[in-house]
Amino acid sequence: MSYTFTILSPTDNPLFTHEFGTSRSGGDGVARFTTSERALNPFIIHSALDIVEEVQWGPSTSSGSAPMYLKHIDKYQHNYISCWITGANVRFLLLTRPRDEALGLGGGGGSRGSLAGGRGALGGNVYNPTAPATEEAVKNFFVDVYEAWLKTVMNPFFSVANGDVVKSPVFRQRVAAAAKKYL
Amino acid sequence: MTPLQDATPKPPKYPADLEASMILPKQRASPASSLGSLPYRTSNPSLHKLFESTTLPASGSRPSSGTATPTASAIPGSVFSPGSRQNGAGTPGGMASGVSDEHRRLIQQAFAPHVAVLADMQTEEMIRGKGLTEGLLQLLRPFGESVPGKVTIRDSIGKSESFEDFGIRFVNPHHSLGVPQVPVPGQGLHIDTTNGQRDAIRSSSSSTRQRSVGGDVAQIEELVDRHLQYSEYNSHGMVPDYLHQGDLAAQSEGSSSPFYTLYLRRLLSGLPMVPHETFAHPVASIIAVSSQNPNPTEEFRRLYARQREGDLRLPQWVENDYLRYYVLVHEEETGDIAKSNQQFDLMKRHFGLNCHLLRLKSQQCIASDDDAVRLPTCEWMSASEELAEIQKREATDDITDPTPYIPDSDVTAIRTFIRELVAQSLVPQMERQVSQWNEQVLARRRGISGRFMSLSKRWTGFGSSRSSSSPALSNSNYDSLQGFYRPDSPEALMRKLADYSFMLRDWKLALSTYDVLRTDFNNDKAWRHYAGAAEMAAISALMSTAPLTSKTRTENVDTWLEAASYSYTDRQRSSAPYYALRTLALGLELLRLRTGSALDDAARWASRIIETGLVGTIGSALFTERVSVCHAARPGIGHFKLGSRHRKAALWSVMAAEKWFLLHKALQAERCIDNAIQLYTSNDNTDVPVKLPFSQMQAFIDDLRRQILGLRLSIKGYDEDQEDSIVDPSLIVEEATETLDTVSRPQRKSLIGATAPPIDVGPLSPTLERSEKKEDDNFE
Repeated sequence: MSYTFTILSPTDNPLFTHEFGTSRSGGDGVARFTTSERALNPFIIHSALDIVEEVQWGPSTSSGSAPMYLKHIDKYQHNYISCWITGANVRFLLLTRPRDEALGLGGGGGSRGSLAGGRGALGGNVYNPTAPATEEAVKNFFVDVYEAWLKTVMNPFFSVANGDVVKSPVFRQRVAAAAKKYL
Repeated sequence: MTPLQDATPKPPKYPADLEASMILPKQRASPASSLGSLPYRTSNPSLHKLFESTTLPASGSRPSSGTATPTASAIPGSVFSPGSRQNGAGTPGGMASGVSDEHRRLIQQAFAPHVAVLADMQTEEMIRGKGLTEGLLQLLRPFGESVPGKVTIRDSIGKSESFEDFGIRFVNPHHSLGVPQVPVPGQGLHIDTTNGQRDAIRSSSSSTRQRSVGGDVAQIEELVDRHLQYSEYNSHGMVPDYLHQGDLAAQSEGSSSPFYTLYLRRLLSGLPMVPHETFAHPVASIIAVSSQNPNPTEEFRRLYARQREGDLRLPQWVENDYLRYYVLVHEEETGDIAKSNQQFDLMKRHFGLNCHLLRLKSQQCIASDDDAVRLPTCEWMSASEELAEIQKREATDDITDPTPYIPDSDVTAIRTFIRELVAQSLVPQMERQVSQWNEQVLARRRGISGRFMSLSKRWTGFGSSRSSSSPALSNSNYDSLQGFYRPDSPEALMRKLADYSFMLRDWKLALSTYDVLRTDFNNDKAWRHYAGAAEMAAISALMSTAPLTSKTRTENVDTWLEAASYSYTDRQRSSAPYYALRTLALGLELLRLRTGSALDDAARWASRIIETGLVGTIGSALFTERVSVCHAARPGIGHFKLGSRHRKAALWSVMAAEKWFLLHKALQAERCIDNAIQLYTSNDNTDVPVKLPFSQMQAFIDDLRRQILGLRLSIKGYDEDQEDSIVDPSLIVEEATETLDTVSRPQRKSLIGATAPPIDVGPLSPTLERSEKKEDDNFE
């Protein structure tokens, strides 16, 4: 599985982008996007902001306080987007691109022309973005990144409102560590 | 009966002739060879007529009518207007601004009653003498598509409503017998027939069936591709296009591109005649006999017998007792009107209202005649027909328009005839049948006893369902071996009832009938019938103007669409992707008309079409554009337009641009990318050239735009090698204009080349140079 993690300012400017692969089940932590997929990723992440806004301002699903973790919110083709939203309206977006096998596409021609309804019957190893384990892992990742993020924005010389891009190598390390630990 | 014996041995003359005349254009050229012949197309004005449906807006010279349509002006409204109808409860009829219901009208026109046309030899010959090679059918067909005046239809509860756009389709039923794929476990139909005659018809019709039957997605794609190519190569120069750029981008968003409309229209034209739906089954049949015939009454009887049980009998699963309408064709020049009138009086006594005296002129009409009228083009011809027509016209170098002209008086006569046929016979007959079946079949099925019957059938029938090879033993009316219901079974009658009420635009009755049918077909495991009923249930639910709550929409319509597309493709061994595509495309268009959250569903179905590969490359580009339109139509709230989907729309627009670019359709790609940029900037209404938030995005779009521009230039003929050929700087201007011509008008170019070579390139041509050198050598 390959991931792209992006932090977007309230004015939709990207402040930080990190690409990585899974470290679970023998993964080496390197993202495997093809060139065209990589070119497309910013578009997908940007378009997911529409849904983020809708979930953010829409009717609350949980009673009481609004959650920061919005879970899986959007999907474009085989790219799944999860979102975490901070109190200052900074959006953390994580794009997940499962391996082809995990989507049931590995067989090649077998499922061509079949409607998605038939795909569900393929077996249990199909990637499911709303599975509790997946949601939990993504949440843990976001929590760690959020902690690091808070420490970054506390820096008096760094201002999100000005659209400052995060350059700190420490922050990048922390994100990488969280990714390695949970995803 | 003597006439019957007369009839059977005699080969049906006119279908054979029809076939012969049709075979000519059937030589399907490969796309490559069609590209080669492209230059000729521009010089052929008659060809331009064929592409009219799509060229006008694309060429940038669209007349003011384009901007006068409500769709064009309403685009900003759809993006900026405050969201009023949430939850998609809006009615498609009552939307004042925003979305046009162009496609809803298209859909309700598409499902029109089919009328078979059968004429005797004298009539056919007379009409062929007028220059219409395909006989009476060709003459009537374009006029049937829109019945003049309003047609008033009374629905099941007795409320009348008038429609202006009611139409009928004149068909030769044997041409629409084909199906894109074999409809049922095919063996049953071909081998198991005990009736030898019908087999003969099948084989004879199979040779011509490609012609006028639709339902072939690949051909639709090819046709739309032709239109696209034409627009690419015949658009105006770059400069006017840049002037009109704004218009183009604006047009594309609210309404659809003309190519998408064409795609939908061709998807819906030439509906094949299949057992699981009765839209293409003839509702009536015209039997035409010339007044020249010595004994018209006998001829009527003979043709009727042929159609009823002779060689023109339709397959078993088609109801045979449809309305027959008798037409006496009177020839103005040579015929004796007194005799014709006398004969017509006789007919009136026999057939009552169901007959007509059609007075036509027999001499051929040419364009320069005073009262000549060009035979209108058929709007609802199938993709294969239009392709054949395009190829035929490309192949001929003839400049003149081959479309026949007919005298004005004929047009009036035909219009009156069709008006009378529809208003006095066809529609009342359909209304009568609807109410009759409603009382006798549907009410009984719905009542207590009907429910009990269907229950008991289910329980007693399940033992024999295994051994359904003998349909007589099975309790179900479904003949699972041959895959159809006999036309007199209650299920078939109910399906007919539902289809009739759908064609008569009584959506409520249609919906409730389809719903009953759905459960019946489900119990019988007649999957294709089930899919058809679910499809039409969803579509009639969406067609009705009554508001639809979002709950019923997600609970019913979505499930039905899902079930239909699933049952059409995955549930059976022989899948019917055409029908699945039709289901999803119609569902998407109708959902789009109901604003609010229905737009999400529409976008979802559109992306489903793309993902499941129901369409080819052209279709996927068109539907990608469609997703973008669906997202863009969603209004936001307040200043920041919260809840609008402009970013999604822009993403899909970029995807569409990329797809068009890969298909070498520069105009379309450019339109999409302009649209995307507009959507990305729409949030802050500034005229500052925006920078997209991600630098990668900006780079991607800039790159794509550059490539598209390069593609456009190369299509226009500014090639590298041609730039090299420009030798003399002082001649660059002329050279440039010439290179433009190389692509579009080769004949002109060669002409210029022949007259003026010594002046143009003379001094620098290598041969001349060499000879000069030689001379020099000699001189020294």
